[in-house]
Amino acid sequence: MAKQGYGFVILIGVLLAVLTVIEYYMALWHFGAALLLLVAALKAILVVYFFMHVSRLWKTEEEH
Amino acid sequence: MAAITTGAHAVAVHHEAHDDYAVQLRRNRLGLWLFFISEAFLFGGLLATRFYLWGNTRPELDQAIGLIVTSVLLLSSVSMRLAETAMEKGNRQLFSIFILLTAFFGLVFLGGVVIFEWGLVPALYKGHLTPWGDKYGAVVFAMTGMHALHVVSGIVFIFIIWNLARKGHFSPQRHWGVESCAIYWHYVDVVWIFFYPALYLIGNAVHLSH
Repeated sequence: MAKQGYGFVILIGVLLAVLTVIEYYMALWHFGAALLLLVAALKAILVVYFFMHVSRLWKTEEEH
Repeated sequence: MAAITTGAHAVAVHHEAHDDYAVQLRRNRLGLWLFFISEAFLFGGLLATRFYLWGNTRPELDQAIGLIVTSVLLLSSVSMRLAETAMEKGNRQLFSIFILLTAFFGLVFLGGVVIFEWGLVPALYKGHLTPWGDKYGAVVFAMTGMHALHVVSGIVFIFIIWNLARKGHFSPQRHWGVESCAIYWHYVDVVWIFFYPALYLIGNAVHLSH
């Protein structure tokens, strides 16, 4: 994965915020547990992939 | 001739050191993720306990507080990633600002949990749950307590990394310490991403009077 710039990080942050607000309103409208956990899983995937760099696990060249 | 041989030797040593570091880095990353998998069993067990004991109910917790502390923790994850980006770009000043901001957000999150969820400062907010009161208090304290313990260790980790960076221990090419600290912090955030709906959103609110 190419190095992420500041703007891209902010974009992921905005996406996470939007999903959190959606989650909150879904709970107010009595959506089921499965749907709420699905939104949580989406947020977790964003964090794991873009912030935790899970893909670096199977890369060899990168230094850090 | 001797100079050429010495130069070639130096290049070979450099490549060897580079390879050693790359191999070590892969092992470090794998080790950290294996640690996360073991931690997932701990937090997964707590989540399972919540669904087993509460079913489709939940205690009446302050929704505004839940949303605010969750947002603060998400913000801390963003600032941590920005700190890592700053280190990758070699901007040490920005790195320091963002990593200290992350620690600040972490402390605000902790304050929110201690004051508003646990009610440990009655002068500010009177909580209605106790760890020994009923199944709701027991689960809330177990889940938030274990998570808060990880937040505290994350904040300590952040200050150690900030201090090492201040002393020049990391470079844009080599900063595993920063990367591991950031990944650990994001992991703590991922745990809360699942704890937030489990504690605050899922199920019908039960009014508790103690």
